[in-house]
Amino acid sequence: MTTLLTVEGLSVRFSGLTALDDVSFTLEEGNVRAVIGPNGAGKSTLFNAISGYVTPTSGTVHLKGQELTQLSPHAIAEQGIRRTFQNGGLFPALTVLENVLTGLHAQTEGSFLDILLGRSKALKSEAENIHRARELLKLMSMDHMADTRAGDLSGGQQRIVEIVRTVASDPPVLLLDEPAVGLSPVARDQMMQIIHRLAGEKGVGILLIEHAVELVMAAADRILVMAAGARIAEGTPDEIREDRAVLEAYLGHA
Amino acid sequence: MSQTMPTAKQRRLRSLLFWAVPALLLLLPFATNPYTQFIANGMLISALVTLGFTLVIGNLGQLAFANTAFFGIGAYGSAILAAKLGLPWLLTIPLAGALGALGGFLASAAALRGIRSYYLAIITLAFGELMRWGYLHAKPLTGGTDGMPMPPETLFGTSFSSDTLKFYVFLAVTVLLVKATLNLMRSRFGRAVMAVRENEVATASLAIPTSRVILVTFMWSGFVVGCAGALFSRHVGYVFPESFGMLHLIASFAMVLVGGLGSVLGAVLGAVLLTALPEYLRAFPGMEELFFGLIVAAVLVLMPMGLASLLRRLSPIFVERFYREAP
Repeated sequence: MTTLLTVEGLSVRFSGLTALDDVSFTLEEGNVRAVIGPNGAGKSTLFNAISGYVTPTSGTVHLKGQELTQLSPHAIAEQGIRRTFQNGGLFPALTVLENVLTGLHAQTEGSFLDILLGRSKALKSEAENIHRARELLKLMSMDHMADTRAGDLSGGQQRIVEIVRTVASDPPVLLLDEPAVGLSPVARDQMMQIIHRLAGEKGVGILLIEHAVELVMAAADRILVMAAGARIAEGTPDEIREDRAVLEAYLGHA
Repeated sequence: MSQTMPTAKQRRLRSLLFWAVPALLLLLPFATNPYTQFIANGMLISALVTLGFTLVIGNLGQLAFANTAFFGIGAYGSAILAAKLGLPWLLTIPLAGALGALGGFLASAAALRGIRSYYLAIITLAFGELMRWGYLHAKPLTGGTDGMPMPPETLFGTSFSSDTLKFYVFLAVTVLLVKATLNLMRSRFGRAVMAVRENEVATASLAIPTSRVILVTFMWSGFVVGCAGALFSRHVGYVFPESFGMLHLIASFAMVLVGGLGSVLGAVLGAVLLTALPEYLRAFPGMEELFFGLIVAAVLVLMPMGLASLLRRLSPIFVERFYREAP
């Protein structure tokens, strides 16, 4: 199994506060790794540090052996780590199709001048990407919504479109920040299937922050448990279920 | 709500219409008097000024008010290049555009340092006033308060004092720049511009270099408005600092809003309507400003999304989206 993501000794300190404390783990091809922990455990800081939104104080992030630690968010995304956002990252005024197309920005050919002059190189690439975006929406049964403003979708539909947009460029690594929050049970099941399919069929390595315990237990191959910025346990769902440190620190009783 | 998109047939009709309108306008000089011709020439300039403005405040969503600065830079740049260096005026148009783009580069520096909303507004307003101070005080170059005249020039034996000849040049420049801007907006670039407006943080996560998008949008806006400035210097034949003050900025702002924020079509419509309106209102001496204000207010109350939204409701041909379907 190929290791995609290697995080080593990652720490983030904000003037005295240690938001992330020496966290290390790896993520393999086709694996789903859940990151759980109480509020303020540092889960989102971990995501932000990996995706370049927060500069780590120390530690490294490698994707397939290539170091990404000090790169900007757009450069890290271009290297192949893509993420979603807890509060939803869609562009409400753009249509569903346009939103998915933004995920293919780096895959679209043609320089600024090519676009300006309407040269065939740019137009051809644009047409190919429109075709691809429509196909991806069809896979999720969202093609009938292509011309709908993203802001007019339901919460569940928005989550799905955001995932379609995020995976449109076929990134090897995906960071999902609470993809099931606020979803109905049906939409939550659909989200589970999407995560399974991405990992199982496409071999995407998925890092998943999620509070829904049943989703985590069902979807994750391995779980990383955090509290107060540090890793307190790591293992398979069954191991984590039995772990005393987790029961004490995370659930607050034992 | 799902928007009705133009069908393939309607898209073809739309591109036909895009070229048919300027083609018909070629006949305008034969059907008009010199005064109306002068007003029409001004409309074309305003259309470009409004277009550049709406890209930054509508599409990119940045509260930047350096638009009149770009306009003045283009106008003075063209006049100085023509009068002091003896360059043919036609050649000064792209050069004035380049100077405007340089202005856009300077204005974007504030936005790229993370200065946003009201703070960006006041800094860019200051930029405009600073430029005006420059025109006033760089007397050897600009003529100061006296302004500077455009040197007389001919093209194929026709003097550039002819409003008909100016019209054809203005029309060609306007059509080219509107077409190029439409190409930009209906591409990954146009989507990236909108994405920055909607959610800058999420935009970066899609491998879109947000800083570059902001920089290039400002520069293209500056280019378009800078070219408009070069047209303006020939249009009025004389460049004064007063032409590039708050009044011009507010008038352009009104054109952007009346046409419809972030709409290419709206920019043109807003410019045409608000340039024509004062001419009709001359029939009501003493009441012109009152009526002008009331009409602008009425349009905005009845159509907060501007005239372009009215047309969109009439036909999907006028729907402006940020991608281009193959014909």
